[in-house]
Amino acid sequence: MIEVVHPGIFSIVVDGGRYGYADYGVPSSAAIDLFALKMLNAMLNNPPSAPAIEVIGSGFSLRFHSDITCAITGAKVDALCDGKSVRSWSSFEVKSGDTMKIKDIIEGFRYYVSFSGIMDIQKIINSFSTNLECGFGGYKGRPLKKGDIIGLSSPRIERSSTVPETMIPNMKSPHEINFIKGPEYAYFESESLKRLFEKNTLSCYNVSSKSNRTGIRLEGVPLLFKTGVEKSIISEGILPGTIQIPGDGLPIIMLNERTIGGYARLGVVARADRDLLAHLKPGDKVKLKMVNESDAKLLCKRKTKVYNAYTKTKKEVPK
Amino acid sequence: MGFQAEYCGVVNIMEYQRYSEEGLRIIFGNTIDLSVNKEVRRYYLYLKSLGIKEIIDIIPSYCSCLVRFDPDAITFKKLISRLKNEEAHINDFDAPEPIIHEIPVVYGGENGPDLSFVASYTNLSEKEVIDIHTSTIYTVYTIGFMPGFPYLATLDKRLNVPRLETPRTRVPKGSVGLAQLQTGIYTYESPGGWQIIGKTESMLFDHTKEPYCLMMMGDKVRFISV
Repeated sequence: MIEVVHPGIFSIVVDGGRYGYADYGVPSSAAIDLFALKMLNAMLNNPPSAPAIEVIGSGFSLRFHSDITCAITGAKVDALCDGKSVRSWSSFEVKSGDTMKIKDIIEGFRYYVSFSGIMDIQKIINSFSTNLECGFGGYKGRPLKKGDIIGLSSPRIERSSTVPETMIPNMKSPHEINFIKGPEYAYFESESLKRLFEKNTLSCYNVSSKSNRTGIRLEGVPLLFKTGVEKSIISEGILPGTIQIPGDGLPIIMLNERTIGGYARLGVVARADRDLLAHLKPGDKVKLKMVNESDAKLLCKRKTKVYNAYTKTKKEVPK
Repeated sequence: MGFQAEYCGVVNIMEYQRYSEEGLRIIFGNTIDLSVNKEVRRYYLYLKSLGIKEIIDIIPSYCSCLVRFDPDAITFKKLISRLKNEEAHINDFDAPEPIIHEIPVVYGGENGPDLSFVASYTNLSEKEVIDIHTSTIYTVYTIGFMPGFPYLATLDKRLNVPRLETPRTRVPKGSVGLAQLQTGIYTYESPGGWQIIGKTESMLFDHTKEPYCLMMMGDKVRFISV
């Protein structure tokens, strides 16, 4: 059993996502950094899509009421557990009665906390993820609050494990985000698109403070629509990571909370780079870079290789 | 408009278009049109009935179907050829008849704060707005924006009103709204920019009970003033 002593700025339960019901308008609401979630679960010997707590901000604090192993991935953080210093990407044993507190966020934005044992939470529409807008899934359909108690099924101690520094993705600003051309790419002025890819500060965007878990808003030089082009489209299905351009020309990168959209789609963030979207915090710089499907596939392969390499080394450790 | 020209006017002839690493758009047209939407529906229901395990989600909308597939399980090329092979069977597929849903609505007052604006904007009385809104049988063109939210068309032209200039930060669950030639029902409380003319107690989406969603794409809706 674990107890929330402090929820940080914002914390919710997420998992690998809610699929199969997008035709009813049900979005996946998955963890934004799915790589961090997968690595976290590998560290703890949980199934790859098992739930975790996705947290923003320092101050997040838990009290443990069982002897278990705990781990944190995603953003690099400094934490204290039972007075001892612990950090993310390295699992640690905790004893019943211990308190863990996140002191500082070193790099990145969202971090993921989980335990050896599955959080005892009811699945809604086949997923543990919180759908914040509708108030279902996760822990009672809402962000965590001080005093919340979450049970753990099959709590146990796992051998501690550390992910090598070289396997931890770079989460520092400026972020380079690779994307694939979207269906309405040709709606934009070629001069405007050319500027987007120039190697100077004008082509850089700032992450807006109006960003949320539904979409990341970018601020900078607006993209120009070609004359005569309709600025909105007939609403149509979208994928996570879709870069929508509303009438004002400023990109919104859609995350995991919408199934359809009505804005022109400049592109879709490459699958391998969607994890990075979890770490775009207000004020960060973003540079968009266009790649083709085969480049994107390579980026994905590289990430899978890291995951496989880690799980392999983990298996080789004698029990 | 080079891109648009590629599929302009080829209603009923499907076009397959890749959308990122794990998306396939099947395009049936580029207008809001009931006959196009019927094609989308037939295709969507047929594809859904096949239960292809590499397909993660199918999102049908006004004039296209988006197939989200698992690129680690099937290549784009293989998926396309699989779906092209199915084309011949689509017309033999017996699509289930749409269901007609009757939705009781309390119009105006605090349940429909924009009814008076809609009446004055359209030069109609509030009663006339209600009569017109309840006299059409609408089609569910697509479901989205939030779980279970039906995009209903086509609204009588006399009720064509713009969206709110400043969207409300809170539209209550069950609110019935208008926007251009569409009408819809908010299934959850949310921010929103549609003109709200009434409210229903009908449960359109229930996350606790399968099949969760009251309406399916292609279903019909009639509003009843209570």
